[in-house]
Amino acid sequence: MPIHSLLDATVVNTANNYFPIGVQLLFAAGFVATMLIMSALLGPKRKTSDKLANFESGIEITGNARQPMAIKYFLVAILFVLFDVEVIFFYPYAVNFRELGWAGFGAVAMFVGFFIVGFTYIIKKGALIWED
Amino acid sequence: MNAIILSAIFGVVLMMASAFVSNRSLYKTIALACLVLLVGANIAETLGYSFFTIDTHNMLAFNKMGLFFNTICFTATLLYVFISSSEIERVDNYTAEYFALIFFSLCGIAILTSFNNLLMMFLGIEIMSIPLYILTGSDKRNLKSNEAALKYFLMGSFSTGILLLGIAFIYGATGSFGLESIKVGTLQMQLSILEVTGCILLLIAFAFKVSAAPFHFWTPDVYDGAPSVFTSFMASIIKVAGFYAFVKLFESRIETTSFATNPAVGVNWHLLFAILIIATLFVGNITAVFQQSVKRMLAYSSIAQAGFMLFALFSVNAFSKEGLYLYAAGYCLATIGIFAVLVRMKDYTFEGFNGLAKHEPTLAFATTVCLLSLAGIPLTVGFFAKYFMLAAVVKQGYAWLAIVGVLFAGVSIYYYFRVIAAMYFKSADENPAAVATSSTVKIGLAVVVAGIIILGVWPHALLNFLYF
Repeated sequence: MPIHSLLDATVVNTANNYFPIGVQLLFAAGFVATMLIMSALLGPKRKTSDKLANFESGIEITGNARQPMAIKYFLVAILFVLFDVEVIFFYPYAVNFRELGWAGFGAVAMFVGFFIVGFTYIIKKGALIWED
Repeated sequence: MNAIILSAIFGVVLMMASAFVSNRSLYKTIALACLVLLVGANIAETLGYSFFTIDTHNMLAFNKMGLFFNTICFTATLLYVFISSSEIERVDNYTAEYFALIFFSLCGIAILTSFNNLLMMFLGIEIMSIPLYILTGSDKRNLKSNEAALKYFLMGSFSTGILLLGIAFIYGATGSFGLESIKVGTLQMQLSILEVTGCILLLIAFAFKVSAAPFHFWTPDVYDGAPSVFTSFMASIIKVAGFYAFVKLFESRIETTSFATNPAVGVNWHLLFAILIIATLFVGNITAVFQQSVKRMLAYSSIAQAGFMLFALFSVNAFSKEGLYLYAAGYCLATIGIFAVLVRMKDYTFEGFNGLAKHEPTLAFATTVCLLSLAGIPLTVGFFAKYFMLAAVVKQGYAWLAIVGVLFAGVSIYYYFRVIAAMYFKSADENPAAVATSSTVKIGLAVVVAGIIILGVWPHALLNFLYF
């Protein structure tokens, strides 16, 4: 008889079972608080303008990060994600190539077909033409 | 299955048309041809000719009721595209893409009329809504359109989150995504509080999608900000499809999770629905009275009409089922008709309609019939739609709720008749319509008016199809 795991869980889950988790949570919060307070109290303080600047891998910062960027980067990023997903699907297919047989080939061909349709559309629409 | 696959393919066909066909005036012809094929294919499936046999593992179940609802939605879309294709062309340069998005939305509707699994319902809702977010923001240079799109998207994804949470709760409680709560083993499983919580979360998410108060706040802004042609599509076809899914989802669960069958953790659904209905009717009707813009008034009136459609949820019986179909058809017809006139106006305020009867008698007459149908005046389909809904409630033994409904329908007459009064009893020197009415629009409006009156005299012209 199939027994439902969640129903089982309600039998064992009492408030007592959560006590160790509660202790751990308290300990974690207390540890973080103590560390923060201690380091603020005990640590040396040197306030310079360099310390207030954003960390840019050691390079001096130039300008504001919130600048308008060409939408083309976005398109390329989206295309990259699409091809990424395609490759992710190809790996498990390559591993199971023989077992899946012609049915699997059909499914993957359909997937790639959909993909090509979308890609043709986006190429035809001039998504990859960089010069205006 | 025909409808789901073909609508997706036709969407792709239109995308490809935009890439390969340079003659822009061809797009609407292609869209209309595809819609005719789609309606045909759906009717063929209703008659038993399914072109595709795919094992959906019982996640989708096709029945005549759902397929018939598809037919209503697709036919309404056909009419909508026929009337407003020239307006769609005027929105921006991406005509074919707009049609493609409409087809993708129809694909979502076809899933929503056939889901047999909560996951498919979720997919259907998303496939239906995501194209709408884009269509709302399609007037890219208009700030209001952008605001509406962002608002719609954020609110919509938020309510989707609630929907998913509800589905997760139900899965946790029953161990299944099935539409009906399953029984584990031989034991009748006890109703869990988690399942009830899940159902209420689903109720909230759906109330949001169909803009029932108190989850209606996005509606006026979105309907007002979106280009009027697309508001027409959202307020008519999408809305009734949402209601179909709403009722389909809840009719299978109301019984098992109700207070009556399970006093320990059950819900008093009738009370909950009654509160939802009265709040929706109140907010929709009373706020619509104070509107200055006809477009915004129609947005609030669509909330008010949602209140009436919620009656189908309150009383799940044969009457309400018939009422829902009739309401869907009548509401789509009237909304498409009135928006087809609205997009032609220079000024969207009530004063903007002054003297329309004198300058454009055809438009004024069509508007009048549509408004009468929305108000529920006899001899229009709106009357029978409301009648079936109220009769269903009375049959369940809640006559007082029907009286509340009638009172609010009375309030709605006030703001609908303000437009009629402006058109017929006030005069204006210049023509309030901005664009000349083409013969296509006239034919389309004639079909709308004929549909409203024929179904208003003989509602069984539509309802008989339910029992084939």
